Amino acid sequence: MTKLPISKTHQAAAQLDIDVSISFQQFDLTIKQAIPLKGITGIFGHSASGKSTLLRAIAGLEKALSGHIKLGDKYLAHSKENLCLKPEERHVGLVFQNSRLFSHLTVLGNLEYATKRCQNRQLNLNEVIELTELSELLVHQVSELSGGQQQRVALARAILAEPKLLLLDEPLSALDRQSKTGLLKMMLNIQQKLKLPMLYVSHSLDELQQVCDNLLVMSKGEVVSFGNIHKVIHKLNSIDDSEIIHQQTSLSLPIKGFNNGHDLTTLSLNAEQDIYLICDQAFQHQTQLRCFILASDISISLTEPSDSSIVNHLLGTIRQMNHQKHNVLLTVNCGSQDFYVTISAFSQKRLSLSPRQQVYLQFKAGAVRTFIH
Amino acid sequence: MINSDLQALITTLQMAGLTTIILLIIGTPLAWYLAKMTSRFKVVIEAIVALPLVLPPTVLGFYLLIAFSPEHLPGQLWQQATGQQLAFSFSAIVIGSVLYSLPFVVQPLQKAFEQLGDSLLEASALLGAGPIDRFFSIVFPLTKASFITAASLGFAHTVGEFGVILMIGGNIPGETRVLSIALFDHVEAFDYARAHVLSISLLIGSMLLLAAIYWLNLPKRSLKNKVMKKNSIEHHAND
Repeated sequence: MTKLPISKTHQAAAQLDIDVSISFQQFDLTIKQAIPLKGITGIFGHSASGKSTLLRAIAGLEKALSGHIKLGDKYLAHSKENLCLKPEERHVGLVFQNSRLFSHLTVLGNLEYATKRCQNRQLNLNEVIELTELSELLVHQVSELSGGQQQRVALARAILAEPKLLLLDEPLSALDRQSKTGLLKMMLNIQQKLKLPMLYVSHSLDELQQVCDNLLVMSKGEVVSFGNIHKVIHKLNSIDDSEIIHQQTSLSLPIKGFNNGHDLTTLSLNAEQDIYLICDQAFQHQTQLRCFILASDISISLTEPSDSSIVNHLLGTIRQMNHQKHNVLLTVNCGSQDFYVTISAFSQKRLSLSPRQQVYLQFKAGAVRTFIH
Repeated sequence: MINSDLQALITTLQMAGLTTIILLIIGTPLAWYLAKMTSRFKVVIEAIVALPLVLPPTVLGFYLLIAFSPEHLPGQLWQQATGQQLAFSFSAIVIGSVLYSLPFVVQPLQKAFEQLGDSLLEASALLGAGPIDRFFSIVFPLTKASFITAASLGFAHTVGEFGVILMIGGNIPGETRVLSIALFDHVEAFDYARAHVLSISLLIGSMLLLAAIYWLNLPKRSLKNKVMKKNSIEHHAND
């Protein structure tokens, strides 16, 4: 049998159309949202916001729902027509928080479990093993693997079933930071190579910021916000609650220079303005970089700082001022990009800042953060 | 005559073997159903399944004797279907044994299915496995030890059965005369020598079977640890 090139195996369907309500004792889940089946869509919310339940409903593990779920042009569930496809008929993959590997099979056995039951069989097992860096582990029992390795097996196994949509339910939450970064990179790489659309549930905005194109925010069983990840994060900034979000500026910028000779990478903010951050080898092969700057890491100056060690200073215009519980949140526009800055009410008064005023933003190279190193 | 004891042994093994097969066939779905059931009728069914554990076998035997007689519906239906009387037949003692040994098969399986939970089954369904496939590819391999326990207990308990068979089987050589009944006959006839032979064989046989079950159910880890310990001791010895 000839194998098709790996990148052509998953033609993304148009969108996932969700219009469901599920009743629980604690809360009702009511979701009406169309999600484009493109790239990675993040689902963010606190525990008991209903995000895992939503994934289970899409996967067919939550049967008592009313409404419909449509994947591309195919209904997965339609309560009015008494239609509810079984999980095995949906072509939807799910990677769980605890990897749920089959302990009586080896790593290879777990992977072959998926390939044997796959009807398409267009993916090459060896290619997926390579993508998930499992070639050394194939003969091992799954109980001998570390948490990060187990999740890689779970990810590979889910991909090998060749789903039309891959759901990831907090797959990184039990892992240490190093494994998290590794797996995030892997997910991104797999998404791009296989063009496999993913829905990625997490309660960590930092993780989602690094890989997602769109973000869906849920609270108490309802959709609070949906759209481009940077826009949605900036919208969340208005919530003055550090439990929910660390107020930040979320950016995706082209890399202008990998190393300026002093171990700083240059990102192009606009035609006139650049942002410097600490250089990392991983940036070398990238053209675009996801990063974020916490609002508390940026300071304001009324004159251009010329004798400061802080490398980033950008001229901008105050667009908005919001007085919060303990400080003031400024929205400062630089070119076409808004930056979010928190300063104390004391500083705001001392500098007598007001909207439409021109100010300089200052932040260190180290304040420009990325999750993937 | 030793031959009659051998005959009884063969009848016993046939009865216990057939009973165990039937029990696995009907006990597995029943145990599965009970493990997944959330209705409040679950306790009622569980109580009915467990009843033979506490009920005097003669009570069960008595009711079965009545039911199997040609005067009552089950006995009549059997006679119409097979042309033979059900009471005092080999079939009767197999049916009686199935009912009597049911909890010994259903309970370990139910417990194993409950412990296995749904998480791995959900994972395999999402990989495209249907219900039957899931049972044979996930459930059975992961609960194999419980199946062996259930089958062994069902078999051993059927071999040791006395009261029910006495009530519904009569004592027909080659048909319903099993070891426990033969033993009783020897004692009644004061033939203690032959009674001893049968008793000691049953005792040793049961002992070996139970030891085998417990050995199979030893946690795998402790076995592995022992092997590792042994290896490390050897390793140190070599140093």
